Amino acid sequence: MSNLKLFFRESWLLLVSSVLFGGLLALTDAAWRPRIQQNEINKFSNLARTLLPAAETFEHLADPIQIPDDKGRPMLVDVRRGLDASGACAGWAFVCEGSGFADKIKLVVCVDAKFEILTGFQVLASNETPGFGDKITIQNGFYQAQYKGAPAERLTLHKAGDSKLIDSEIIAITGATVTSQAVVDILNAYVTPIKEQLRQKGFLQ
Amino acid sequence: MSKENTMTVGQAFIGGVWTEIPVLRLMLGLCPTLAVTTSVKAGLTMGLCVIFVLICSNFVVSSMRHLLKPHLRIMIFTLTIAVFVTIADMYLKAFQPVMSEKLGPYIPLIIVNCIIICRAEACAAQNGLLVSVVDGFAMGLGFTIVLCFLASIREVLATGCITFSPTLVLTILKPVEAGGWFTPWASMLMPIGAFVTLGLMLAAVNQIAGKKS
Amino acid sequence: MDFLESLLVGFVGIVVINNFVFTKFLGICPYLGVSGRLDMAFGMGCAVTFVTTLAGGLTWLIDTLFLVPFHLEVTRYVCYILVIAGAVQLVEMYLKKFFPPLYKSFGIFLPLITTNCVILGLCLFLNLWQVDNIVLALVLSFGAGIGFTVAICIMAGIREAMELADIPTCLAGAPIALITAGLLTLAFMGFSGMIR
Repeated sequence: MSNLKLFFRESWLLLVSSVLFGGLLALTDAAWRPRIQQNEINKFSNLARTLLPAAETFEHLADPIQIPDDKGRPMLVDVRRGLDASGACAGWAFVCEGSGFADKIKLVVCVDAKFEILTGFQVLASNETPGFGDKITIQNGFYQAQYKGAPAERLTLHKAGDSKLIDSEIIAITGATVTSQAVVDILNAYVTPIKEQLRQKGFLQ
Repeated sequence: MSKENTMTVGQAFIGGVWTEIPVLRLMLGLCPTLAVTTSVKAGLTMGLCVIFVLICSNFVVSSMRHLLKPHLRIMIFTLTIAVFVTIADMYLKAFQPVMSEKLGPYIPLIIVNCIIICRAEACAAQNGLLVSVVDGFAMGLGFTIVLCFLASIREVLATGCITFSPTLVLTILKPVEAGGWFTPWASMLMPIGAFVTLGLMLAAVNQIAGKKS
Repeated sequence: MDFLESLLVGFVGIVVINNFVFTKFLGICPYLGVSGRLDMAFGMGCAVTFVTTLAGGLTWLIDTLFLVPFHLEVTRYVCYILVIAGAVQLVEMYLKKFFPPLYKSFGIFLPLITTNCVILGLCLFLNLWQVDNIVLALVLSFGAGIGFTVAICIMAGIREAMELADIPTCLAGAPIALITAGLLTLAFMGFSGMIR
């Protein structure tokens, strides 16, 4: 009994402050959580909307898309359909990832409604070398611009060439060949399998 | 707690921004200093978060300074700091999502920033409310000044300009790509840039203050 | 086999490629404070490795078994720091009882491990990387500790040699240590791109 008394005498302040702080945290959480969740949802659509300006909303597909990963195991991909103001399909957006030079690269890629032409990509997360590999993150920089309008098929990387010419030949960033190759590889691993899956499930004609 | 009011408000303020400026004099809080100073905006956000946490934790600790038991003291400090850091982190997530993403785990790492616990122990647990709050503000301000200074050196040398938002860009050295003469130093954004710049800054402060040892 | 491979890749990655001290700037304070002597640096590294492994595993368990199912993510940071403080206390008591000389030589630095960013940083990164099994979490935690030990030992070796060098007075101490650390990060950058 006296032990218990000692315990409370020594630690009542800690207990009281824990309860008070707990209440404070609960209050802020209740006040801000909806906003935080909204931000997370908006993040994808904001990035995707810069690539598909016509799209108003992005909806998940009723039937999830599965493609084989690099070891051949099935992997779920978050493919969303962009809808314009009238509810017609404005294009497709999906998140894809693969290993870059230092760490994983995560991209949002958008394709037009017929899944034939890429409308570009945006970087969700990357940890590439500053000044070299991180040039892939420059919005509308020469590297990103090469993807805007490129055909949605197998892409190849070249060290030299005309970067203004929009085709399936992507010109690498000087000093960051590995990163440039990584982006091409990620797109190659995703675009064609997703296209096939969409066609099989009847989302595309 | 017999050492009541060992400092005046003025002393606390001067201490925070020069004689005991964190990072440069006390060598505390180096991790965020090196990590977030790739851009001025990130440094400023980090500094404001630290100011908020320092003021709040100093206020709380100071107001319960007569009730503290010696062996549970550190526990209460840590708890207080962790709570206010969580609040700051949630604020950024809710209202500054881009910045929150960029700073990532360095905001929660304010919890283990030695400056805050050091001020709770050395100042707030022994001084009155007003002095503690002023001390918290001054220490935070000193930290922010160092962060912004370091960040502006690094950002200008790395990109030639200071970017506050996509529309507000302050060009200081015109880079070659934009038709100027300055070749950006990419290495300033890398860890090496952080370490060397901070090292030289410390050396400069030592030189100015005339190290007596 | 795939699983073992992913463990190995994760371990090597966190020790040399994403070394916490050199790429994430975590644990700089003790890195500069203790790295004056090699034996102390090694002792500190071992203590940190032990605490990170313990704390990494524990926080991962708490996170997956308790915080996420009950939607208590808001208290994540508070829980993490309490677990770490507890783990450090445990190590302190253990050392005091079984290795008194080691305990004496650590002196002030042992309680400071609580505020060592490597440990909290690791717990946060485990959460950020969405590590989904306990074995990988433990391996990564252990690797982070080893990475810290490697960094602090290299630094201590260099600083022992530097005591004989003639350094300008204003650069002596912390500034030259920071610049040395900068050069080391450059060397460690050579490892990035090793695993793909």
